[in-house]
Amino acid sequence: MRKDQNLGEYLRTQGVSRRGFLKFCSATASLMALPPSAVAQVAEALASARRPSVIWLSFQECTGCTESLTRSHAPTVESLIFDAISLDYHHTLQVASGEGAEEARHAAMEENDGEYLLVVDGSIPLGNPGYSTIAGISNLDMLKDTAKGAAAVIAVGTCAAFGGIPQAFPNPTGAVSVSDIITDKPIINVSGCPPIPVVITGVLAHFLTFGTIPELDHLGRPTAFFGQTIHDRCYRRPFYERGQFAHTFDDEGARKGWCLYELGCKGPTSYNACATVKWNEGTSFPIGSGHGCLGCSEPGFWDHGSFYKPISAGLWGSKETLLGAAAAGAALGIGSAMAARARKNKAIKESEADSS
Amino acid sequence: MTLLDFARGPALQWSLIILVTGIIWRIVGALLLSSRKDLSVARRKSGLNDGLGAIATRSLPAHTFEKRIRFQHVTGYAWHLALFVTVLFFGPHILFFESLLGFSWPALPNGIVLFSAAVALAILIALLIRRANHPVQKLISNADDYISVILCILPLLTGILAFAHIGGRYETLLAIHLLSIEALFIWFPFGKLMHSAMTFPARFQAGTSFGRKGIKA
Amino acid sequence: MSALDSIAVQAEYETGNVVPLLHEIRHALERLLNGEDGTVIDMRSLPLAPGEEKRIEDALGKGEVHADLDALGPTTILETSYPGVWLITHRNTEGEVIGRFIEVTRFPSILESQPEDIRTGLTALGNRLAEDSA
Ligand code: SF4
Ligand code: SF4
Repeated sequence: MRKDQNLGEYLRTQGVSRRGFLKFCSATASLMALPPSAVAQVAEALASARRPSVIWLSFQECTGCTESLTRSHAPTVESLIFDAISLDYHHTLQVASGEGAEEARHAAMEENDGEYLLVVDGSIPLGNPGYSTIAGISNLDMLKDTAKGAAAVIAVGTCAAFGGIPQAFPNPTGAVSVSDIITDKPIINVSGCPPIPVVITGVLAHFLTFGTIPELDHLGRPTAFFGQTIHDRCYRRPFYERGQFAHTFDDEGARKGWCLYELGCKGPTSYNACATVKWNEGTSFPIGSGHGCLGCSEPGFWDHGSFYKPISAGLWGSKETLLGAAAAGAALGIGSAMAARARKNKAIKESEADSS
Repeated sequence: MTLLDFARGPALQWSLIILVTGIIWRIVGALLLSSRKDLSVARRKSGLNDGLGAIATRSLPAHTFEKRIRFQHVTGYAWHLALFVTVLFFGPHILFFESLLGFSWPALPNGIVLFSAAVALAILIALLIRRANHPVQKLISNADDYISVILCILPLLTGILAFAHIGGRYETLLAIHLLSIEALFIWFPFGKLMHSAMTFPARFQAGTSFGRKGIKA
Repeated sequence: MSALDSIAVQAEYETGNVVPLLHEIRHALERLLNGEDGTVIDMRSLPLAPGEEKRIEDALGKGEVHADLDALGPTTILETSYPGVWLITHRNTEGEVIGRFIEVTRFPSILESQPEDIRTGLTALGNRLAEDSA
């Protein structure tokens, strides 16, 4: 796609009919979790959409987010959207590296100053700049430098959005999230470990279509995808309401598809779209295959206790400490009883002395 | 740390430590209180039977006044029963106890538990209103009574809201529910809620001492 | 078709999403008959249990019309056994489902010829006639 073309023109030159374009639009609206009634609006906006430049920075991450995105087989709607953006710098995907890559980044930044979209995956180590560098540049410096001219920042994955696994206790690298560092730009947090690919592209599609930031929740996540919990949309919910729980992964309840709350499902406290959008082209999601949600789209999900501990169970339970407390209580009781006795004996003596 | 992490972690830890220390302190203290040696001749030898008898008779309606206090009796029994069902037989509660005690027991269906929670809550609110308005009750109530009742209302109320996902995000509701119970834990040993540990031993003691004096408890 | 499709999903349990959906469709049909707008339900927005999509399909059944169109990959348009209820499945060129909708309408708009395409076709026809007469 040429930079001076809009998306509508580009698709026509590719031989895509209006009907094909409308099909693309309904798939895109569905991708953005918009109601089907919004298709006309999407079509209008997309036809005249300009191709935004995207710079993708990868910091302390496992490449899972990029994998999640690129593993969706081409050419899907997602890949059409990718054709429609200009991915000018993606450290992991591009052929060039080192100086050459850095030049590409700087060129894209200059050419699209104030307009490009910055996508970040991975957390940023503050403990020591040397923990993670690209072409000798620390993550912190690169993020600050690149964010300056960005129109908006999309933090892809729980690491970039909230610190993620690198930040898990005891956080050896002093990892922080993008929003801990960048405070003067709109930031969209697309959390998940990894995020659902359709959600990543859905957010990109929204920016491409409307040129605006979607509505966000208090953690900066698009409410279209993160507005409800897994539990809100879970098909096992009726079992939860009735109190029918699987007690182990292979008991009668598990076979009957009962609720996984007792097995540590974090669905009730996890905001994500897995229960409806699902994974692997809509095939299934963890609960669909009998495993509870880990809560991967939530801040600190790694440190909320075991994945298999039910949410209603305490995170603390030390019998030794409670026995110690009991012993302390007993000592206090003995002490106060002795004191009371001493007072009483004294009073008796005094009264006996008085009466004699 | 999120509010829920705080409620499930440090807040739980400290409230439990205070609860256990406080209860044991008060029980041991009460047990070791000396009583003056009774120099009178026992009418008859009193024992286990008198103690248990007193527990039984004092737990049953008192006939003389029954008409006048029937309301308290019925609501009192219903409330305690509903509370036990709610606390001990709700699935997620059993998971909580299991994480502390290491063993579990079967749960009752949610419908039954929800019903008893609603009954317990309604009774408690009714009793609170009555306490605040009834001329005699008003006179004999102090801050301890009100604090104790309100600290029992809050976990019931927040628990129902959390279960039904009403009024906020589940993680917030659950955290508030846990914190309300932890407030109750902290208050428990120092207020009238201690009656749950003291009532039966006290009745037992009264029974044996009455027996010695030849009084029918 | 991905390899995952070859794994037979065994759903032993009911979740009760099918009946409410059928109710929703019934209301949409009533609205349509009363002259109100049609309704589109995005299947991606429904919390479905494994195998439930199939059960919805079975419940809707097959009607008189079946259309295939080929634009950016195949799309099948089925009128279900309830006239006015259409099942539309968009696939990409790889055959993967990229969107699935239940449309309650007299005629799915995706089947209509679009003015832009008609114009392109008209130009092509004009060119051809010009060439022929030349
Ligand atoms: S399996 Fe998890 S998300 Fe589903 S109803 Fe049970 S607790 Fe909620
Ligand atoms: S089901 Fe839960 S743990 Fe799994 S991907 Fe979705 S949010 Fe993450």
